[in-house]
Amino acid sequence: MDVELQINNSASPNARFVSWAPSPCRIRVTNPSGAPSPTVNLKITGVSAAGGGVVVFRSGATGVFSSSVTLPVPTNGTSVPFFAAGKFGKPSAGNGDVTIQARNGTTLVGSAPVMVRIRKNANALTTAERNRFVAAFAQLNNQGLGRFADFRNMHTNVSSPQAHGAPGFLPWHRAYLLDLERELQAIDPSIALPYWRFDRPAPNIFTPDFLGASDQLGTVGFAATNPLQFWKTDGVQGINRRPFFSTSAAPPGLRNETQTLGLGTQYPAFRTLEGNPHGTAHTSFGGSISSIGTAAKDPLFFLLHANVDRLWAKWQRQNGRFNPAQPASFDNSGGNPIGHNLPDTMWPWNGITGGQRPPTAPGGALAASPCVGAPGPQPKVQDSLDFQGAIGAPARMGFDYDDVKFA
Amino acid sequence: MARKRRAAKRPRGATKTPTAVKRSARAALSVATSGRRPVRKRVAAMAQAPLAVCESDKDLQAMLNVLRNEDEPVKVRLAALQSLGAAAFSVIAFESCRGDYLAALRKVATDPNPELPQRVLGLLMREKDGFAQRKLLEGLKNPDKALVPPEKALQLLSYDVHAEAYAAARAIVGKPPNPDARREALRLLAADATAAPLFEKLLRDKKELREIRQISASALHALKPDRLQQVAREIVLDKSDYDDIKATSLMALATFGDDKALANDTVLLNSVDRFGAGKAPSKYKQGARRFLRKYGR
Amino acid sequence: MRPVATANAQSEPQFAAMVDALAADLDRRDRLMDLLREDHPVYDQRGAAAIVRMRGWLLVALARAGVSDAALIFVLEELDTGVDAYLVAAAARALRSYPNPTENLAPFVMRALTQIRYRDEPVSFERYGDYAVSSAGTSPVRELLATLAWLGPRARGVLPELEALRAQGSGLAKKFRIDIDRALHAIRRADQVDEPATGSCCAPPAGLGDTVSRPLDSRGGVETIESLVFEDHRGDRIAFKEFFRGQPSIVVFFYTRCDNPMKCSLTVTKLARMQKLLEAQGLSDRIHTAAISYDPAFDLPERLRVYGQDRGVVMNAHHRLLRATGGMDALCAHFGLGVNFIESLVNRHRIEAYILDAEGRIAVSFERIHWDEQQVVSRAIEVLEERGSCGGTRAQGAD
Repeated sequence: MDVELQINNSASPNARFVSWAPSPCRIRVTNPSGAPSPTVNLKITGVSAAGGGVVVFRSGATGVFSSSVTLPVPTNGTSVPFFAAGKFGKPSAGNGDVTIQARNGTTLVGSAPVMVRIRKNANALTTAERNRFVAAFAQLNNQGLGRFADFRNMHTNVSSPQAHGAPGFLPWHRAYLLDLERELQAIDPSIALPYWRFDRPAPNIFTPDFLGASDQLGTVGFAATNPLQFWKTDGVQGINRRPFFSTSAAPPGLRNETQTLGLGTQYPAFRTLEGNPHGTAHTSFGGSISSIGTAAKDPLFFLLHANVDRLWAKWQRQNGRFNPAQPASFDNSGGNPIGHNLPDTMWPWNGITGGQRPPTAPGGALAASPCVGAPGPQPKVQDSLDFQGAIGAPARMGFDYDDVKFA
Repeated sequence: MARKRRAAKRPRGATKTPTAVKRSARAALSVATSGRRPVRKRVAAMAQAPLAVCESDKDLQAMLNVLRNEDEPVKVRLAALQSLGAAAFSVIAFESCRGDYLAALRKVATDPNPELPQRVLGLLMREKDGFAQRKLLEGLKNPDKALVPPEKALQLLSYDVHAEAYAAARAIVGKPPNPDARREALRLLAADATAAPLFEKLLRDKKELREIRQISASALHALKPDRLQQVAREIVLDKSDYDDIKATSLMALATFGDDKALANDTVLLNSVDRFGAGKAPSKYKQGARRFLRKYGR
Repeated sequence: MRPVATANAQSEPQFAAMVDALAADLDRRDRLMDLLREDHPVYDQRGAAAIVRMRGWLLVALARAGVSDAALIFVLEELDTGVDAYLVAAAARALRSYPNPTENLAPFVMRALTQIRYRDEPVSFERYGDYAVSSAGTSPVRELLATLAWLGPRARGVLPELEALRAQGSGLAKKFRIDIDRALHAIRRADQVDEPATGSCCAPPAGLGDTVSRPLDSRGGVETIESLVFEDHRGDRIAFKEFFRGQPSIVVFFYTRCDNPMKCSLTVTKLARMQKLLEAQGLSDRIHTAAISYDPAFDLPERLRVYGQDRGVVMNAHHRLLRATGGMDALCAHFGLGVNFIESLVNRHRIEAYILDAEGRIAVSFERIHWDEQQVVSRAIEVLEERGSCGGTRAQGAD
């Protein structure tokens, strides 16, 4: 007897990625030979490699997760749903380091290697994780000729009002990071965008093997084996980044996580994080990252913003702020510029140009994922809120942070 | 259908309203701009205040006055600059502040404290400001008028390929005042379409520093990619060349080369094999092994 | 490849003095307009910032001398696609010296206001080359609002936009409240209504066109460039006559390092839209499109391909991104391109699009103001139909 396991309700190996939020899955018998009865009880478990991710299961959309689930499955090929999720605190280190297995008794009848793919603290990545990330990022840049040029062109002085200084700041950047992450995953599906936890020392990030070490001039140097040495934006080679702090410590003056999460339980108060720690993190350096029109030239920008997004995610989790219909979740009080209201589509993914929008819309629609359907190719501001599917499962975006639970 | 999740326990003190947050920021701003407070407290308060300057012109002017005032402690002025820069990211909120901010940056560009001109000229050059460009070019032409060292001027001028800096950069490559200036001049010239022969020459020159050869490899790829592929291959085959530049060359070939041609280049692959088995540092040998794996060895 | 040239002999202060003298001399004022051409030798080998200073000073001089009908297009161009605060402010000021204002001017002013509002900065027109180090004085937003006030009821077409801006209450609306109110008051004045609302919102006033049509019998030949060889986005080489003879073509000029998103990036994006319009009408094989780089030394094939791809351009045998492999001077001369250089790098260019007839001759040109895609396609179809050109092409190979 053979069974097929579909992760994220897809038979494609490209969909075999889970996070903390539950992924809908299916199991069905594809070859019933040897089946003792029209329905068989199949036990689904996860088997982890050493140091690998851990997967937990439940049979329905609600309920407790456990390390295994046993399901009655018809042998006529009818699919039976179940849910799988990464066990909080046990992310994968590499693709396929945990295998979901289905057994009929003691007989293995089906398996699917999966990855618990989670956005992690960049300072704590393994060497392999780090190398995969920089390789993918360098390839996306492709010496200024790759898809990264679109991401650079999405974040310029001309386009900045679409995403800064008004309530859409957090939703827009969440979509922006997700779009980039999916493009990286198209190169290497094991990639999850790491974050720079800027309120803590992160010496492992600012090294020649990772995002580079700056000399006193602010010129960033890379190891000979680091493909980021070929980084190019706007036709100009290299990265300028001059830390105004010792990179063995955290930048001074930043609101720490507790202070940031304590800004307030209402979104209008919380979003003042745009000034500090977000703006202060940017201006803890001289160089590209310290000006809005050039910040996206530096790959560190995306790790900085991943942390801002993580803070938002954590605030949402702590305060139950996933529902756009709940006033405290957003600032929709009226008078917001275009692109900063819940029902507004977001540039550039909406393809709208001219008037109150920038003259061109680089990059096209937001990248799709083989794992989830959300937020769609032309997301609205409101589509960025329920990233875990806490309110409605279809809203799940397929990413999670290592220290932000699902429930 | 998923049920609503119960909100997790809130951290203590998380009861601030937007008004309370604004009030707190204004209070911080008041400390930041008060000359009677200790420097340490003012610097800390500056960091808490960024968006407050967007709310009131009076507060904005107070902050700008601190930035412009040469009698203020430089630490406080730098903190003011950082705080204003942070606020500038909130473009819509900062809309009414930007003009005053840019004017203040230009004023401070000629400040006697060297750190301030360096920072503000960087901020202005990233806005492609003609004032900053002119000052930097004047300084390269006439060192007595320089506001920043030549290597810094070149680095900042590279933010705008349309700044007329190529002639100055070439002059510095020919007669460098220091190695950093030469390096930054070369980095700037990497956008000059006529500079490919220079970079090929530098890449081949074993007496050059690794960093210069690395810059040259990248520049040559931008300007004449087929030449880089050829030169990179020659470097890998050259037994007398250095391990680190071989590693860079392998990286260039693997990342940007013609995969089909490389997979069939037995001579090259044999050479990489020897490199990977030889006495090079382990991270370079790992790079060689990755290269071989990519091309089926 | 252009050789490394020596610096322009005339210094900027000399240029400024010349402009001031021309502006003051009634008999020589029309020479100011000649200086606004991008390809004028006075701009050769200047950096982009220097050109901003020079052109801005010219516009300020025009503001004193009065903008003629012929010069109006240069002022509108700056409002249409300018991103530099000094130039936009100078253009807004210059417009107020135009003796025949019409309602067509208001959309240009309002569009410039929308584009520059988040990048407002103080500017100074006191002396040539001044940069404001204080915010007392003027700025592009202030000048644009003053120009809207000057237009008065002729700007009533943009009244809703201005009212919406005023209603925002914060930011610009707060800082320039008095200027906005003055403009609103002037626009709402009923006693100066002297013409009904008519005409296109986005085109220059009638007779002051950005479109030049050349009748069949007056089109110049292509002898000087017919053998010019291009390299396309795939690295394939093709001569001018091979690609452009046999069917009409729509040609735009651009370069990948253009940092004004209102110019090259938008131009090439619009080229992609025109390709879709042609496709929808089944004309993709009968009308070629091409984007030619001003910067052939830097814009190598892969760079061309990626730039086009990122903007949705279809690239195949009939539709190409091209760079000249030589003869750039002849190309510039043939098209009369509005471009200048510092060494090989473009320092300033205008927006320009051309329709070539089946002989490769320039039939229509669109200059300075952003053209409408449908309008260009319609004119290209007219050229296609003028001699009943057949659908065959002599393009080499197919993708």
